[in-house]
Amino acid sequence: MIRKEIINYSLRNLVHKKSRSILTIFSILIGITAIFIFISFGLGLYNYVNDFKTSSSADKITVMPKGMSAPGMDESFALTDKDISAIEKTSGVYQATGLYSKVAEVKQSSIIRYVFLLGFDPDKPLIMELSNVKVIEGRMLKSGDDGKVILGYNYRIENKIFSKAYSLNDEIEIQGKKLKIIGFMQEVGSPQDDSQIYTTTDFLPSLYPVAKVNYAMAVARVDISNIKQVVENVEKELRKERGLEEGKEDFFVQSFQEMLDTYATALNVIIYFVVLIALVSVIVSAINTANTMVTSVLERVKEIGVIKSIGARNSEIFFIFLFESGFLGFVGGVIGVIIGFNFTLVTGAFLAKLGWSFLAPSYSVYLFLGCILFATLTGAISGAVPAYQASKIRPVDALRYE
Amino acid sequence: MNPGLIELKEVAKYYHMGESIVKAVDGMNIKVHDGDFVAIMGSSGSGKSTAMNLVGSLDLATKGDIYLDGINIETLDESDLAQIRGKKIGFIFQQFNLIPNLTAKENVMLPMMFQGVSADDRSSRAEKLLKLVELSDRMDHYPGQLSGGEQQRVAIARALANDPDVILADEPTGNLDTKTGEKVMAFLEDFNKKGKTIIMVTHDPKLAHEHAKIIYQIKDGKVERKLKKVNKKWKPFR
Ligand SMILES: Nc1ncnc2c1ncn2[C@@H]1O[C@H](COP(=O)(O)OP(=O)(O)O)[C@@H](O)[C@H]1O
Ligand SMILES: [Mg+2]
Repeated sequence: MIRKEIINYSLRNLVHKKSRSILTIFSILIGITAIFIFISFGLGLYNYVNDFKTSSSADKITVMPKGMSAPGMDESFALTDKDISAIEKTSGVYQATGLYSKVAEVKQSSIIRYVFLLGFDPDKPLIMELSNVKVIEGRMLKSGDDGKVILGYNYRIENKIFSKAYSLNDEIEIQGKKLKIIGFMQEVGSPQDDSQIYTTTDFLPSLYPVAKVNYAMAVARVDISNIKQVVENVEKELRKERGLEEGKEDFFVQSFQEMLDTYATALNVIIYFVVLIALVSVIVSAINTANTMVTSVLERVKEIGVIKSIGARNSEIFFIFLFESGFLGFVGGVIGVIIGFNFTLVTGAFLAKLGWSFLAPSYSVYLFLGCILFATLTGAISGAVPAYQASKIRPVDALRYE
Repeated sequence: MNPGLIELKEVAKYYHMGESIVKAVDGMNIKVHDGDFVAIMGSSGSGKSTAMNLVGSLDLATKGDIYLDGINIETLDESDLAQIRGKKIGFIFQQFNLIPNLTAKENVMLPMMFQGVSADDRSSRAEKLLKLVELSDRMDHYPGQLSGGEQQRVAIARALANDPDVILADEPTGNLDTKTGEKVMAFLEDFNKKGKTIIMVTHDPKLAHEHAKIIYQIKDGKVERKLKKVNKKWKPFR
């Protein structure tokens, strides 16, 4: 019963000291807004990585030239059909296929764009399983699909790559030839992937009549239970095939698992960093809150003396101040979460528009509740110390205080 | 004679100021009975306020014993003392000491809140008390909107909120002009007639002689003289 009345008394105080209350709330909400933003984006990145782990990519390994910038850019490196069959014959490898990756000139009216053209064997679509992207409109390539292409997601959208969007069965001019669009890929979330074009390994070389086209990389499906050993076996076989000494390889073999681990480690570093920044801002706001609470207690020492003289117990005075600071924390937390949520919605949409949809914020109930709880606790704890001191002041000393 | 409602036995309060010791109260003996109107009188700095704060357990004595209703307050803990301040004692201060962000009525209701009185009861009792001090029309005013005399009357109403046995008033008219001071004193005298024990601290002999029934004259933290009004004449007593 008494508690309810004391809460009422605290609330009256907070309303009366409006500007002080708003200042305290503000100092808390800044920290909480920051935390909310950082964690929701961190969570988004984390989920993005996790989605890969459970995908069909897990049993794949890739063979790529060493020290290159991107597949297809290094013309000196050539994987031959002999290399591919050497990989395929290695124990633990179920299937292997070579991929072409070439820069292609794409033209719409007078506008020219250079994008990556990927050639894969429709009978061995290992690259599709690896990258885990699906056709969302039209159909997949099949063998014998000469003069046909599948386009990345961004070609369907106006003013993204070209001013005019393409649709199914349209023709698109690539390397000076008109090719038929038979499908579109789903959105990946990075501008490079979403502007890629896919065709068959049989057809691609005919678009580059001048020079011989070589495989830029190889993908293999392997025994997942023994991936490390398989990677070593493939390295050995390829070394033999290409006549290279150990340590002098011009290629490197990587399992998707390994790739993901490096990627995940990098992302985790980012996530930790982001959380660290958030924590720093929380500490700053906690110090700020504590400072405000100390000032607020000092301002009210006389009042403490008065209410002690009319029968307030130490515990009741402690509760009054603790409630006030906790309540300010709670309000700061709620507002901070609301601001943070709206901010991430807007920036998430903005990043998606730029093609960075993998940088999407992710939310959970725990994030919302956690932020609010955290703010309340921060407020309460930073108010607890001055509240405790306030409650211990002798009434006579408090009354004399000016 | 019935046992003392309040009794101070060889009470002392020392303040350490660096090397020197200030003996604000130094071996004081006072006995107050139910229904008394006691004035603690003395010049400024003689230790009156210190003594009263000790009686009201707003402060702790360095030496000696203080009994309230026969109980040595040394044996009570902080929570018990808060209860005594809330229920048995009503304070009136020279500076009124109202809470500025509460209205007159809310100020009067406040002591009842700490005793768990229901909101309805608090409200009706606060209204009754404010009517008693002739402030019915000022109940929703904030202290800043009231004159000194009015504020002190709110403070009186607040002191009576939990129907205490004793009212402790430290220079209750010290910040008021003579006329408003008289009005405040009239209320105190009236409450004394209705059975409340009153202990008033004052430096003003005229005030003490006009309103009190017993006078303790204080000097250098000690009781110098004890006077009692018998048939409108002041007589020393032991
Ligand atoms: N907190 C304190 N610290 C030091 N000295 C004090 C304190 N309170 C009171 N005193 C001293 O004790 C003496 C008595 O003070 P007080 O009881 O306020 O006197 P009165 O109320 O009779 O004017 C004075 O000399 C005063 O300076
Ligand atoms: Mg004094």
